[in-house]
Amino acid sequence: MKRILLALFGILALAFATLMPAFAQSKGTVYYMVPTLLDEFQTGSVSALELFLKQVGYEMKTLNADNKTDAQQSQMNDVIALKPSAIILAAVDFNALKPSIEAARAAGIPVVEFDRQITSTPSDFTSVAGTIEIGYVAADQAEKLLKAKNGSVKGKVLQVLGDPGDPYTLDIQKGFEEKMKAFPDVKIISLPAMQWEASNAGTIVADQMLANPDIDLIFSHAAHLSVAAVASLESAGKKPGDVMLMSSNGAPVGLDLIRKGWLNVEVEQPLYAQAAAVAMFMDKIAKKEEIKPGEYDVLGLKSTVTKETWGPNIKIPGAAITKENVDNPAFWGNQKPPTDTVKSVE
Amino acid sequence: MNPRTRHALEFILDNLVWFMLLFVLVIFSLLIPNYFQLGIFANIIEASSVLGVMSIGLALVIIAGHMDLSVESVAALSAMAVGILFCSSGIGLGVQLHPEWLMVPVSLLLALAVGGLIGAFNGYLVVRVKMSAFIITLASYIWVRGLVLVISGGRSAQDLAPAIRWFGIQRLLGLPLTAWIAIACFVIFSLIMAKTPFGRHLVMIGGNETATFRAGIRVNRNLIIAFVLAGAIAGLAGWLLAIRTSGATANLGVGLLFNAFAAVVIGGVSLKGGVGTLPGVYAGVLLLSAINTAINLMGLPANFTQVIHGLLVLAAVLLDAFKQTIRQRLA
Repeated sequence: MKRILLALFGILALAFATLMPAFAQSKGTVYYMVPTLLDEFQTGSVSALELFLKQVGYEMKTLNADNKTDAQQSQMNDVIALKPSAIILAAVDFNALKPSIEAARAAGIPVVEFDRQITSTPSDFTSVAGTIEIGYVAADQAEKLLKAKNGSVKGKVLQVLGDPGDPYTLDIQKGFEEKMKAFPDVKIISLPAMQWEASNAGTIVADQMLANPDIDLIFSHAAHLSVAAVASLESAGKKPGDVMLMSSNGAPVGLDLIRKGWLNVEVEQPLYAQAAAVAMFMDKIAKKEEIKPGEYDVLGLKSTVTKETWGPNIKIPGAAITKENVDNPAFWGNQKPPTDTVKSVE
Repeated sequence: MNPRTRHALEFILDNLVWFMLLFVLVIFSLLIPNYFQLGIFANIIEASSVLGVMSIGLALVIIAGHMDLSVESVAALSAMAVGILFCSSGIGLGVQLHPEWLMVPVSLLLALAVGGLIGAFNGYLVVRVKMSAFIITLASYIWVRGLVLVISGGRSAQDLAPAIRWFGIQRLLGLPLTAWIAIACFVIFSLIMAKTPFGRHLVMIGGNETATFRAGIRVNRNLIIAFVLAGAIAGLAGWLLAIRTSGATANLGVGLLFNAFAAVVIGGVSLKGGVGTLPGVYAGVLLLSAINTAINLMGLPANFTQVIHGLLVLAAVLLDAFKQTIRQRLA
């Protein structure tokens, strides 16, 4: 019995000794407040942030708010009490989380806005692709597609929004419609897929294809909605190319649809670069050092840091994915995380 | 009131939901361009297939005087199980069976089994452990949705095996096979409820459980069967969802439970139990689907659609309450 206890003690001591250096190396813990884990972008953001933050010496813990504002507020309060090195926040609701951001910063904890920009209160760093800009890119692509099909920029576009309670989709809509105003011959029909639920999008497309059989282009605000749209088109006897399709976020399913010829364009959110940018600046954020404005190379993408009223802001351009470039491993939808190691900005 | 007028009035009251459906279809056809066409009516029936199937199971349990809040999550779990096994991209494992058509019955059995098992679990706790059906199935609603998230990791399964997708594409007399499956379910379960001892016993249990027990009817057994059926039927709804969306996402079917409740109530099923028919429930489902389609076609601003949807459902329920008042006066 004594021998067994001694052996156990020995193993424990060895394990402790092996693990200690790892703890010692860590620069601290960063909490990531993810709004939901119900789509691939969000789950992808967790693994990308974890990977890049580890490369610059931070541990990351994630709390999922399940798309509930009140849950995220409570989580913020809990995390503030834990005094982490920083909080990365992808807010469920842009406005409702403002007091929580202010409380965290008042407690000396830096707050990073990730993916969802909050301009109403200062934060320590913001890394976004820009949802309104995604709408702009989508509008540019719609312009090209409609011109190629109809000879000029005219026709009918069905815009399948996400849940109307989600500012993410409303921003994309805003950007898209703002740019499309330049083309009065384009009629846009916008309908929401409640709760971002795919079968709702399928029903919208099925109904609209009957009521407006002359729809030229369907623009869904997420790739998984396009999958349901395709299922409805298929049921209606349509073949790839009969109706042009476009979606945003660059999820793996969207890239698959491009390869199959159904989807013309997927407007990517540069997930890896957004996450890498946070890691690159994390030392400065944690130490509350100044982040200088200017051009930075983030995983090969030219990105700009500006000083805004809400703090330093990095904007990384989203890209249009088409048949020609769909296999580029840089797109997060291809699920090949970059092999380049991220380094802290000096 | 003379007996003929009285009978006519009773007939209208018994089938009020069908008259409401007809009224709504006529009004929408007059107000919305493109609404009045066979294709749109086929869409209404097609779009109602998943909700319709789910409402059958829910109605069975409510008629028996209980509640099943888990049906939406059960459908999502069944869809995800089918998606993971029989989808070829995303998290799909792309399982192949030979001959290919075998994938249809196997995936269907899988969905039914997943749903039936959870239904049996709910039924056991409600009947044997004597716990509140509301609480038990609320817990199942939460943990089953959580399980969907755990097994999918938040990712989606796409590209359902063509043999299974075939159901989503094939049409018979202008309607997709998925819609025929829903119609067949309504016919079969309507007959079960009206013509078999099991159906009649469920209505009796919902009306007065103690009296039914004293009459020598095996209340517990019937209730467990009702829960198993509700789960299995929710599994079938999940199978149809997977076919309709050619795969499964972690949020598949979110919000269906509330629509199913609305359809069941509009269809004349009393939440107190013991009252209601499945044809009425089907009319309720079609009514909701007709309203949804109208909202889709009107192209209203996104923010308004949910309000209008809610108000129309409220109007339908109020009309149903009005029906009860008239019925009491007639009695």
